[in-house]
Amino acid sequence: MRKVYVAGVGMVKVGKHVDKSLRDLAGEAALKALEEAGNETPEAIVVGNMLSSLVEQENLASLIGDHIGLRGACGFKVEGACGSGGAALMTGYSLVASGLFSKVLVVGVEKLFERPSNDVIRGLAYAADADYELIYGITFSGLNALLMRYYMNKYGVKYEELAYWSVLMHKNGYKNPYAQLRNEITLEDVLKSPVIADPIRLYDSCPLSDGASAALLVSEDLRKATDTPVSIAGVSNSIDSVDLSSRLELDHLLASRVSAENALRIAKVSLREVDIAEIHDAYTITAALSIESIGFVEKGKAPKAWSEGRFSPGDKPSLNLSGGLKSRGHPVGATGVYQLAEVVMQLRGDFPGVSVPAEVGLTQNIGGAGSNITTIILRR
Amino acid sequence: MTTLQRVWRLKNTILNLVASRCSSCGYITYPPKMRCPVCGSRELREEALPREGEVLSYTVIQVPAKGFEDFTPIIIALVRLGDAKVLSEVVDIKPENMSVGMRVVATVRRSAETIDGGVPYVVKFKPLKL
Ligand SMILES: [Zn+2]
Repeated sequence: MRKVYVAGVGMVKVGKHVDKSLRDLAGEAALKALEEAGNETPEAIVVGNMLSSLVEQENLASLIGDHIGLRGACGFKVEGACGSGGAALMTGYSLVASGLFSKVLVVGVEKLFERPSNDVIRGLAYAADADYELIYGITFSGLNALLMRYYMNKYGVKYEELAYWSVLMHKNGYKNPYAQLRNEITLEDVLKSPVIADPIRLYDSCPLSDGASAALLVSEDLRKATDTPVSIAGVSNSIDSVDLSSRLELDHLLASRVSAENALRIAKVSLREVDIAEIHDAYTITAALSIESIGFVEKGKAPKAWSEGRFSPGDKPSLNLSGGLKSRGHPVGATGVYQLAEVVMQLRGDFPGVSVPAEVGLTQNIGGAGSNITTIILRR
Repeated sequence: MTTLQRVWRLKNTILNLVASRCSSCGYITYPPKMRCPVCGSRELREEALPREGEVLSYTVIQVPAKGFEDFTPIIIALVRLGDAKVLSEVVDIKPENMSVGMRVVATVRRSAETIDGGVPYVVKFKPLKL
């Protein structure tokens, strides 16, 4: 396999973009990434997206590729629910590593604010099992609420300990110019926010978001031309059951552990060497399960750890310097590509928000309630 | 949104709570699978789950998906039935009276209207009164 480098990244500010369409958002991020990479023309475009059918648009690689002048290039969309961006990166990586192409553009994009929110909430629940879960009216928040109550009950973790994660994320995201929710919040704000799916409150949850992020992945021979120091040292994707009913464990994400172990092994990096990570905190419980399943702390210990200052900027690892899904936002199929762009900028030393010196970074992008997970190791 | 045809196809598994039990390793899954998630065996047999069980976790959904507005707040639970787990709605109880570990029993109730105007019946759970 050939080494793969990230030659350029581009992000659009996450938020509600009434004035921008899906193709506008994707095109803006893509052209930024190409510009950073010396305006190279990619041979292939891989699009990460979950819900473009909500805006009656599929065939995204052709739509976006043509919009930015890539007629004749290879292109397709990759879908893995909220983990679509990570899955698209894994696909783009494979196209370069295999030697099939030398320049592959990966674009993650999501456009949610085109439809009323109850339509969007239903759409997000497409990541659940339609026949055996959605038929009862479950929502995505509802599935995570089931995991959260189970976890709190099993480990005796208090709601407030989990909720404190949101406070920490807003503190980081406050300084990120690409973040959607750039306001600091207190624990009391979280406790007073309305219940969405008990025990999950509004401020335990990421917001609904529009956004797009892109990265140009290149082979070693193009590394010098584009002058990048950052390589994708390892990447792995793993699946688990969509339905929660047949999971072997409800307090552990199998696909998180497996994809992290594989990515670290491929990168020849130990978990202790990871300086920074962007993890997928769609809900505070998702943060806890991701942190524990990767292996940063033991089961049931993550909330106590972050309440005591672990994972804060400067600690090893520092987690979610971007503000995470909670504050940066969660443009579903784009999120995995945002995580990559943020870590690449951290490793290059030019992230415009909270930043720390770092050599090794990890991203973990989660689809469904833990059913499709991609872990990436980046190195400078 | 589901359709009449889709619910009709699921009538056996949903109404009779039919899981798949692996003949090799014994692992049981609901919903049923075609191959064992634990050992990979294709020797699976159908097994109807007990209709009484215990709440492992639950949530009360206040912000519903489109189509479930009339059912809100919706109580959804993961219920342990024998060796398997089943996700469904809990009815005939106020949200504040729910608790982890409470005993429930299956009951057939109506679900949200399908997009082709049908009224499907599915298995939900209600508190077990001793
Ligand atoms: Zn088996």
